[in-house]
Amino acid sequence: MLQGFMTTLKSILEKPVTIQYPEQKRPVRSRFKGRHVLKRYDNGLEKCIGCALCAAACPADAIFVEASENSDENRYSPGERYASTYEINMMRCIFCGFCEDACPTEAIVLGDNYELSFTSRTDAIYPKDMLLEPVPEDGSPTPQKVPAGAFDRAIPLMQDATD
Amino acid sequence: MNELQKRYPEDVAAILKKYPPEFRRSAIMPLLYLAQRQDGHVSGRSVTDIAELTGLSTTDVTSVVGFYTLFHAEAGGRYRIQVCTDLPCALRGADDFLALLQKELGISVGETTPDGMFTIEEVKCLAACHRAPMFQVQGDGDITYHEHQTVESAMQVLKGLRQQAQKSGKEAA
Amino acid sequence: MTMKMVTLRIDEHTVEVPAGTRVVDAAKKVGVDIPVFCYHPKLESVGMCRMCLVEIGRPVVDRASGKVVLEADGSPKIQMAPKLETACTTPVSDGMLVVTTSEKVAAARREVVEFILTSHPLDCPICDKGGECPLQNLTMAYGSGTSRFIFDEKMRSAKHVPLGELIYLDRERCIQCGRCVRFQHEVVDDPVLDFYQRGRALEIITRSEPGFDSVFSGNTTDICPVGALTTADFRFGARPWEMKPAASICAQCPVGCNIVYDVRREAKSSGKPVIKRVMPRQNESVNEVWICDKGRFVHHYNESAERLTQPLMRVDGELTPVSWQQALETAAAKLKEAGKGLVTLAGGRLSNEDLFNLRELTRAQGGTTLLHTHMGGGEWTRQLGLNQGSNLGSLGNGDAIVVIASDLHQEAPLWWLRVKQAAQRGATLIVLNARPTRLDAYAAHALRYQPGEAAQAVAGLMGNHKTPAAFQTAREALAGAANLVVFFGSDGLGLTGTRALAQTCADLLMQSGHYGRPNNGLVGVWQHSNDQGAWEMGYAPAADLVGSLKKAKVALLAAADPVGDEPALAKALAGADFVIVQEMFLTASAEKADLVLPVAAIPEREGSLTSGERRAQRFYPAVPAPDGVRPDYTIAAQLGQRLGLELEGRAAGLVFLRLAQSEPAFAGLSYQALSTAEEQWPIVGRRDLYFGGTTYDNNQGMGTHLQPVLKAGERPAAVAAALDTELMDAGDNLLVLPHTRLFDQGSLVRFSRLLVERVATAELRLNPATAKHFGLAEGVAASLNLNGADASVIVRMDDALPPGAAWLPRRVGVPLWAPAAAQVKVMERD
Repeated sequence: MLQGFMTTLKSILEKPVTIQYPEQKRPVRSRFKGRHVLKRYDNGLEKCIGCALCAAACPADAIFVEASENSDENRYSPGERYASTYEINMMRCIFCGFCEDACPTEAIVLGDNYELSFTSRTDAIYPKDMLLEPVPEDGSPTPQKVPAGAFDRAIPLMQDATD
Repeated sequence: MNELQKRYPEDVAAILKKYPPEFRRSAIMPLLYLAQRQDGHVSGRSVTDIAELTGLSTTDVTSVVGFYTLFHAEAGGRYRIQVCTDLPCALRGADDFLALLQKELGISVGETTPDGMFTIEEVKCLAACHRAPMFQVQGDGDITYHEHQTVESAMQVLKGLRQQAQKSGKEAA
Repeated sequence: MTMKMVTLRIDEHTVEVPAGTRVVDAAKKVGVDIPVFCYHPKLESVGMCRMCLVEIGRPVVDRASGKVVLEADGSPKIQMAPKLETACTTPVSDGMLVVTTSEKVAAARREVVEFILTSHPLDCPICDKGGECPLQNLTMAYGSGTSRFIFDEKMRSAKHVPLGELIYLDRERCIQCGRCVRFQHEVVDDPVLDFYQRGRALEIITRSEPGFDSVFSGNTTDICPVGALTTADFRFGARPWEMKPAASICAQCPVGCNIVYDVRREAKSSGKPVIKRVMPRQNESVNEVWICDKGRFVHHYNESAERLTQPLMRVDGELTPVSWQQALETAAAKLKEAGKGLVTLAGGRLSNEDLFNLRELTRAQGGTTLLHTHMGGGEWTRQLGLNQGSNLGSLGNGDAIVVIASDLHQEAPLWWLRVKQAAQRGATLIVLNARPTRLDAYAAHALRYQPGEAAQAVAGLMGNHKTPAAFQTAREALAGAANLVVFFGSDGLGLTGTRALAQTCADLLMQSGHYGRPNNGLVGVWQHSNDQGAWEMGYAPAADLVGSLKKAKVALLAAADPVGDEPALAKALAGADFVIVQEMFLTASAEKADLVLPVAAIPEREGSLTSGERRAQRFYPAVPAPDGVRPDYTIAAQLGQRLGLELEGRAAGLVFLRLAQSEPAFAGLSYQALSTAEEQWPIVGRRDLYFGGTTYDNNQGMGTHLQPVLKAGERPAAVAAALDTELMDAGDNLLVLPHTRLFDQGSLVRFSRLLVERVATAELRLNPATAKHFGLAEGVAASLNLNGADASVIVRMDDALPPGAAWLPRRVGVPLWAPAAAQVKVMERD
């Protein structure tokens, strides 16, 4: 019995393993796969070019992409094509990260947000404006009016072919 | 009667006479030379005229202009300096020659000197690989080859051409 | 015809093919894939891309004896060529050995791919071709995955070059195979694409006005082995793997091209599936692997917001939405009242099933069934039309084709292509028209007749009418023809003129016995996809439509818009007690109707169409129908039920079975029979997109010819009536002749934004001499007083047109369906 009390006593003195969620949050691991974020370039242009390869790679068919054409007056992303519709059904998503692997421009990244709750099925579908990251400090929101010919490549030039 | 026929009635008739009606399309080459005679290039209007004369589409006529480096769709200088940079010439330093020539004239390939005298062009094989670097000059209704060239010798040739142009200009005046 | 056969070995296969076959085709026939970029089975081979390099060996022949040298084991000794050869240009020869699997061949392919990719942008993620791209596929299959070339030295050129408003060119992606250039030159003879410059600077250009001026331009995007040519219509519309293909039949003209609707959900249509693009579906007996631009780009009508989705009934003078229940009950009551006073006017856009149910419904009341068309002669095409085994693709040397009063290039582009190709294969082509047409260039005899005298011209061809000497030579050319197909149309003719023309054409065919067997007969170049089907079921145009409509107690209009077509018909229809209209849109007729029933469009339902060649073909549902619309055959059946008739309305297939029981021409046919597909050459649309392009393989049915109504030797039942002549002399007025243009202002074309620029306008074309006589000049606006109504037109001079008449397109806002005498005056400028 004494031994039992000793164990209790020891445990009282130990640091608690639980934390006071949601006031306190534990940092996630570097390879954690949380809610998706659609990235932007530093100038604010969206990295996503609407190629739908993420949707093709998705084993749960959770992503729906529709593309439209950019113009220099209304530019969302570099190159000719941007995603006019981008939706992820978070109820379907299994957070496998295949979309991230498939992305040719590193536009979609599984972030560290794991707080996904919704009260209806439609709320579980995250549209593009919820997924896009905020406009960086030096950038401007999309669509942008840009000089002609400044962003005519959809995929950033590869500096190192082995990269 | 179209523009070209109006300008060169006898020449057009003579050229067309050479070819039987079913092979009229063969007249395209001499007609293009004719169209180029005055302005040094084939104008869009001449393309339409030749298409009409030969029964080809304007697209096909334009294609022939594009294929041959001696036909020009755009206006250029009085003399066109055409440097061959195909593989054998490149191995013998044509690339460097061309780069230096551009620097010397202050223009790049496809451009014309401000005085309207010279246009530099990069062309395909001129069949003088063994004497590269080399270039040909197209102008004044003539084509001349200049082989075993250095930038210095080339500038000498251009100087000669300038003088020739001035002389003919004075004579005309 | 016996063809010399050649036996050769390709890897481990032994194959026997006709002499002259290319190695690449011979290999394909035994399932050996030889990758190609520039080769296409429908084009001449040029050997430009070098992707098809293979090792070829030939048997060694002893020069002295001329015999094949044998190895020790008795097999022929094979001498392998020192270098690789292009399989696309090398014809097969006896005893040849082709090796496609050696390391040498693999290395060649690897290097060709590497070389082609030196100037390719690799922007597959944003490329419309990505996913169905031969270059992508062949790179994955045969490429090395790495490149020894420096990435930074890639060509950088224009990525967004509109070749006209329909097709975009991406110069970076082009691999210079020249398939598009060769297609435009060789296949459709619109040489509006060509190469410009040389070497690495080579690019594709067009200088036509408007850009890429060809009605077949969309096909170049199918055969482009990369994403260099893409359509403006589909641009970034979807990825190929996301779409679901649905087989269908193009309903824009009587050719009946086999097509596929590629369908995908669309966010802006609130998640509903919509048609993203139209692709050809192979049918070597109909459209081969091509379709025209109208068929490809005109599909937008069914998603229009203007579609009717609720029955409308006139209440207190206003069209008011009502329930289907109420609409059908009202209609049924009216039909019952009408009895023999029921006139059903059907358009040629209806399917066989719709026409059958409408006919049964009308006949049960004792009413009249009419076909709404300006072209007669179907009683002859029904009896003398094409039969089982017919294929325009098999006509050639020794056969003859007569095309009269039709500008096939504008009215039925695929027939134009097939007739042109038959002529190029050696068939004698005789083209008769009052004006020059695109087909003249391939005709052995291009003959002219006086405007309106088409029937007389055919009579002249038979020697029954005095005609110029040229007709005599044409007649002689026709005399020995093994097979004869006659196309007749309505170029410069109306109902009376075409009926007379058809009858004379029938006489021509009967005189020489060219009917009742395959590849012989009469084909009507109708204005709608299923006019032939309507004729087969006994529909015919009224001799006096105005009178018929005036007398009608109840007029039932299905896919017909007489009010919009002609003011006289509008007046006549006002005399009918009750007008029921079955339509997709609120047409002029629907606006005047007492009851409007909204119907489903072809991509939204099942059914079958009968092409002008008498081929019945099935179409399948591609997209869901909007709520509230019903197919015409269902509506007719539901009306029938309320009248105590037993009509089938549950499924189109069941209606078709009843049709097959009722009409001898359809006897023995069923949806099963229509959906059989057989192996076709060239092989397209499978794993090997690189070979035939992105045309779809035909798995859903190639259709079947209707049964012959007449046997060879049997005389047609219809008795030759006295030929009415149509107006040919306008006296002091201007004789205006109608003709048909591909892109007219018809009710469906207007929804396709892209085609707007190519749509015909009210241009009155005439010879300068005639113009002078009437005081008209190029470009002036003139007012035409036609049949009592005024219309404004723009005058255009055309030296090629014969003097004495003027030509005006149909369906450009001017009610002109038959030759008419018009008072013409130049309009004052405001």
